Amino acid sequence: MNYSLLAPEILATAVGMLVLILGLIFKDRARQSVGIISLLSLVAVLILVILRFTDTQVFFNGIYQVDTYANFFKALFALAAVLVILNSSQYMERFGNKKSEFYALMMFATVGMMVMASAGDLLTIYIGLELMTVSFYILTAYLLEDETSSEAGLKYLILGAISSAVLLFGMSLVFALSGTTVITQIAGQISREPALIAGVILIAAGFAFKIAAVPFHMWAPDIYQGAPTPITTYLAVGSKAAGFAALLRIFIFAIPLTQFNWSLVLAILAALTMVVGNLIALTQTNVKRMLAYSSIAQAGYILAGLAAANQYGLKGVLFYAMLYVFSNTGAFAVATAVEVNTGSTDRDAFNALGQRSPMLAAVMTICLLSLAGIPPMAGFAGKFYLFSGAIQAGYLWLAFIGLLMSMISVYYYLLVAKAMYIGSNPQTGAMTVKAPARLALWVCLLATILIGVYPALLSNWAQTAISIFM
Amino acid sequence: MIGFTHYLILSTILFGIGMYGVLSKRNAVAVLMSVEIMLNAVNINFVAISRFINSEPGVGQLFAIFVIVVAAAEVAVGLALIITIYKQKKSVNLDDFDLLKW
Amino acid sequence: MLGDYATIGIFLLLTILFPLAALGLAWVVRPKPLPDEEKLTTYECGVDTQGRTWVRFRVNYFLYALVFLAFDIETIFLFPWAVRFKALGLFAFVEMLVFIAILLTGLWYAWKEGALEWY
Repeated sequence: MNYSLLAPEILATAVGMLVLILGLIFKDRARQSVGIISLLSLVAVLILVILRFTDTQVFFNGIYQVDTYANFFKALFALAAVLVILNSSQYMERFGNKKSEFYALMMFATVGMMVMASAGDLLTIYIGLELMTVSFYILTAYLLEDETSSEAGLKYLILGAISSAVLLFGMSLVFALSGTTVITQIAGQISREPALIAGVILIAAGFAFKIAAVPFHMWAPDIYQGAPTPITTYLAVGSKAAGFAALLRIFIFAIPLTQFNWSLVLAILAALTMVVGNLIALTQTNVKRMLAYSSIAQAGYILAGLAAANQYGLKGVLFYAMLYVFSNTGAFAVATAVEVNTGSTDRDAFNALGQRSPMLAAVMTICLLSLAGIPPMAGFAGKFYLFSGAIQAGYLWLAFIGLLMSMISVYYYLLVAKAMYIGSNPQTGAMTVKAPARLALWVCLLATILIGVYPALLSNWAQTAISIFM
Repeated sequence: MIGFTHYLILSTILFGIGMYGVLSKRNAVAVLMSVEIMLNAVNINFVAISRFINSEPGVGQLFAIFVIVVAAAEVAVGLALIITIYKQKKSVNLDDFDLLKW
Repeated sequence: MLGDYATIGIFLLLTILFPLAALGLAWVVRPKPLPDEEKLTTYECGVDTQGRTWVRFRVNYFLYALVFLAFDIETIFLFPWAVRFKALGLFAFVEMLVFIAILLTGLWYAWKEGALEWY
């Protein structure tokens, strides 16, 4: 076995520990350096993964798999973590003297996601999932003096623990029926029977919670609003993508959609998620909360691709998950800047942002248009893949609902744009944006436009990644 | 003969009790305890599987060990959060945590 | 089917009978003087209790308990490893060292952060 292929995970874990120890030894003096170390190591992880993108290896009798699919998601997580850490430079004052822990937990959460993407066994999926979510529980409650933050943390913990228990119960039923926990071997051992259906429903419910699909979405708005904004970004982008990474593996290898005809269930789940997420987002006046509901809706679009489970649909899932990193992080980064400068994320706080900080307003507009799926932004290409996959699989109605809901979403996204460009604000003057956060904003802006104009770049990559399913 | 089904029934009942506790209790600590009951119901399942289904002996027990450890980590974080929140609000009643509502 | 439960029933009966028999035997052979005041206090020997039972503990006790809980449970991994120590060989030994090193880092962190201070 070629253990060097595990280098990204080992590097990230080691740096997480190192950062923690540095924080203990040097206390305040390590403040700057720990951030730079974590950032550099994440960039190194990104480079490692991209350089060895096509190297595949199965570790430990199939419980850990390094393949193009896993590498695609690992690159996604590392990228998201880099953007979030850059963006969190804005927020650092509010974290008090607990800085090295923040970076360490970010690294551990990233490792958890990577393990989930590579997991070839139900046990590995569970461990990766818990490493990620336990880190997120702490990160969500990271503003210790802020009551909403601790409240969000406790709520997330209780609901997350319940969903893990439900997921585990489902896994135990599938394990009982198949006699194995290795994902690729399960499919050959099971047949359609009531206990299996119960198990699959429980697993689907557990994952639907993690990706915040309706009707398991109730936690998302509360936690997204209460958590520190950079963490909200990572939750919306990373945790969701990790959930999809594991979900795809289970529903394509272990319990094949085509063999058992689950796809209608997923299609209904997708439709519900799109409708409910978008309709509730319409009524929100807090931008952070609006983005939370919009991210529920985005999970619905991605689920549509999974329900289709054909080449277009799966490619769409990966493509959309990646562009979603850029678009959503961009939008949340602007929200962070506004929050740090005005102390609020209400839509009124965005009034006249177009005059105060044209750059922030431009990033916000581009990213929101991308989320709405307006060409030539990246979101259009992503939705094109997802919905054409759904149509090919015979779910014309699903694609229709998706298009309809995308049109509705334009309304509430444009309300923010309207506030930024037409609204008036007694306060004037540019908002302060720190240099690292500025870099993150530029990356999000350029990537969103680049992927939209030239989607083949990312789509070829996604195509290679899903080749393991075909 | 006490077979696999009996264990499944026991674990399902325990899981149901845990779920009921989570939904009905208002004390945050009691809710965490109920979650533990749910996880332990799953553990019974896993250990029973490794005893009766037995295709790869040990896998089920291993699963149970990992579940125990992760549950302990989760509870440690949960109790720490409850302490923090108690310092702020002088309460562990979940109904008092109502700053965030949809 | 029912035969299996019969075993459990016999054990149940035995476990109930055994302490009863022990208590009964002790009651038969022990001397029986009339109880005096000292005899009727809650703790016949030892220190008298002060205050009520429902007092508040310092929150540091909880931190202690949390740290203990975490380490106590993590050591569960040592048991399966110890049982198969010879078969697993050097690789697993190194892995276990790494695992213990990570645990120790956690202990160090708890120490530095003051979770082990006793006020």
